[in-house]
Amino acid sequence: MDIFITLVINGLAQGALLFLLASGLSIILGLMGVVNFTHGTLFIWGGYVYIWIFTLTDSFLLGILAAVGVTFLMGVFFEKFFVSRVYGNVPAQILITLGLQVIFTDLVRLIWGATPLTIGRPDFLADTWIVGGIVIVQYRVFLIAVGVIVAFGIHLLLNKTKIGMIVRAGVQRPDMVRALGININTYFTFVFAGGAALAGLGGALYAPLVGSMASTAGMHNQVLAFIVVVVGGMGSFMGSAGGSVLLGLMGSGIAWFAPGFASVANVGLMAIVLAFKPSGLFGLAVKK
Amino acid sequence: MSSLLKASNVESYIGLYTILHDVNLEINKGEAVALLGRNGAGKTTFLKTLMNLVSTRKGSIELEGRSIVGVPTHKIAKMGIGYVPEDYGVFDALTIEENLRVAMWKEDKETLERVDSVLDLFPDLKVAYKRMASTLSGGQRQMLSISRALVNENRIILIDEPSKGLAPVVIEKLAHALKAISKDATVLLVEQNFAMACAVADKYYIISEGRTVNNGDIKDLMQNKELQHKHLGVM
Amino acid sequence: MMITKDFSKKRLIILALLLAGLSVIPHVSGLSTITLFSRIFIMAIYAMSYDILRGYMGFINLGHAMFFGTGAYAVGVMFRNFGSTLPVFLIAIVFSVVFSSIAAFIMGKIVFRSGGKGPVVVVAGAMTTLALGEIVRHTAERWRSVTMGADGLSYRIPEIFSNRILFYYYALIFMIVMTLVLRQFVLSPTGRVLMSIRENEQRAEFLGYDTQKYKLIGLQVAGIASGLSGVMFGVLNRFANTELLSVQQTLNALLMTLVGGTGTLYGAIIGSGFVNIVQSQLLNFRSVHPVFERWLLFFGAMYVIVVIFMPRGFVGLYYTLTDKQKAKVQKSAVGKS
Repeated sequence: MDIFITLVINGLAQGALLFLLASGLSIILGLMGVVNFTHGTLFIWGGYVYIWIFTLTDSFLLGILAAVGVTFLMGVFFEKFFVSRVYGNVPAQILITLGLQVIFTDLVRLIWGATPLTIGRPDFLADTWIVGGIVIVQYRVFLIAVGVIVAFGIHLLLNKTKIGMIVRAGVQRPDMVRALGININTYFTFVFAGGAALAGLGGALYAPLVGSMASTAGMHNQVLAFIVVVVGGMGSFMGSAGGSVLLGLMGSGIAWFAPGFASVANVGLMAIVLAFKPSGLFGLAVKK
Repeated sequence: MSSLLKASNVESYIGLYTILHDVNLEINKGEAVALLGRNGAGKTTFLKTLMNLVSTRKGSIELEGRSIVGVPTHKIAKMGIGYVPEDYGVFDALTIEENLRVAMWKEDKETLERVDSVLDLFPDLKVAYKRMASTLSGGQRQMLSISRALVNENRIILIDEPSKGLAPVVIEKLAHALKAISKDATVLLVEQNFAMACAVADKYYIISEGRTVNNGDIKDLMQNKELQHKHLGVM
Repeated sequence: MMITKDFSKKRLIILALLLAGLSVIPHVSGLSTITLFSRIFIMAIYAMSYDILRGYMGFINLGHAMFFGTGAYAVGVMFRNFGSTLPVFLIAIVFSVVFSSIAAFIMGKIVFRSGGKGPVVVVAGAMTTLALGEIVRHTAERWRSVTMGADGLSYRIPEIFSNRILFYYYALIFMIVMTLVLRQFVLSPTGRVLMSIRENEQRAEFLGYDTQKYKLIGLQVAGIASGLSGVMFGVLNRFANTELLSVQQTLNALLMTLVGGTGTLYGAIIGSGFVNIVQSQLLNFRSVHPVFERWLLFFGAMYVIVVIFMPRGFVGLYYTLTDKQKAKVQKSAVGKS
């Protein structure tokens, strides 16, 4: 039973991180039809910027804000100057985002070196609680809280604001949104940069969890996020939330009971979903 | 009187194919004009060309004397053109209310009053105001799409085949509403259903193989069986 | 536009000269150049197989490396376990062909199942194939007893392949034969149907073609060609690792077709030449200046530059230039008359 609770907490924390990465990816895919390969590099940039600022200022909050800010600006830069040139052209999008991923990942190595940087957890989250004999890692609980808050925030943004309405409308019919007098390109930039900032936040929170950041973490987490998107249903925000939690829980369970099979299990789950429910487990997205 | 919308020698293309060859059309303020012609003649493409959803290759299109060729779609819409596409273009994942709100440029008192009066035309929508658009019938979608084009103070409304695929009862309702709308607004109506066109429009243009070939008063066309037969396939 | 049934005399002469030039290379250059060119020939077929999907079917396959990588692993694993002999090589080829056609069949059944049209389907297909490719890569990574996992698999190759100069000619012949075969496929009635599907799938359906069946055939042909180039690559490299099954490997094919020009087949050869030469030059520069330790920066920049400035690749660029010239000639002719 103790193990069970620990595993659930681990899984949810993992799921929260995945969600930060996958939700942006999914909305970008849904709204702009862009298979975005820059997400992985934004993730490690978030991590490296956080480590850099945190070691300079010793402030967790400043580190997080810097990570989110830098990746947001990177998102604006990527979208305005590169991705916006190739809307509707899938192969070009894949190549251009991949090229940016390669460049910016190597830039990380140029700036911060090729060896991983280590980082501890901030003091106020470094402890554990012991409740009825169960060891609960504070930082993991914090991650879950962040995940829930962000999910709730995005939910409100999408469903209660006019921006959200326009984004949801644009996912289905971007041409019609334009024909109603709305400059959807501005929203494209906003959503892309927002997704980028979420990926950056994910990276910044990931580094203290595992204790280090490596430039190779980008592609690995990117593929995981893609798996979440496929499992959850493309372009569906709820789907990426559900998919993240599912993958996180499954991952922590398997890591305990059958270590070594984690990645196979993720991919296996995706295979099953693809074979039996290609629209995704939580496929609420408008099919068109 | 200077025209509200004037298109001269318009040529446009989709991909490699030229769809419109030479379209000339003029609409004055307050008029209701029907654009008639057989399937594939280029009527829908012309409306899309006006919105710059399809690119113009040659010719000029002016809205109150200002050229709108090459202007981004959203700016054209903002200049006061409401567009009701052939497939309604309703946002399924949004409620009726949200569909209308997306369309509103401002949510001030004036706009909301206008929305109220539009909804008076379509009581069906009022009842289902908070429902998801995905649950609506074809007729209700058409009504929603038309309402959406009316929530702003537009100079002209472009409506693409409102009667297509709808039951006769619904068409009747729509014709009624459109007649009321065309009393105050300037309307360009693409129609296959000649009866509908006659009910709403006072002028007509006929388009054939990407060219405007005939125009005039729709009352004259009603008399001219030969022309009807030639271009509209009306028996 | 690009591929016609008959070669003009002028074209034949150019091709003959090119062939003659390529035959001389191994006798006038060093080992590294010979290996580079062998690599270019083999990767050209890999890129060409991708062009069948992308250029002729409008299908973005992000799991294409599974065929290529499995081909390389097939020779590697078999050489290791059954000895480095020619018969084993032939068995590896047969295995690769069988695997590729079955894997392509399964992939096609999943991806082409859903109807619909437009970029959404392309994206869905891309994501699905990405996922399928990852399944194969993960399997290879976990199956350590056979593949040696992430460490990679090194093996000895048969005697007749070990001479680099001779292998250069094998690779060249491989490229020529495969190009002719794929060209024949593209020109065949099946190839024509595929192109009409790319232009307008609905219309092809109305004309009575079972479009899913044709797309499956196209994917199988591409898969087999990719697998065979993987077999050759395995022999060239004498080493296989899971990199060969990765998304990155697939994207190399995408890059090469884009650099060369899509829907042209021959573009793949140019693309392979350009990409491989740039890559090896960047690696060489590392001894010149330390910034080239980060050669990937420049390699990544190439992706971006190609997409933005050369969207139709070298072949496209060539046609644009010649078209302009033709237009100029015509214009001046009109002016004079």
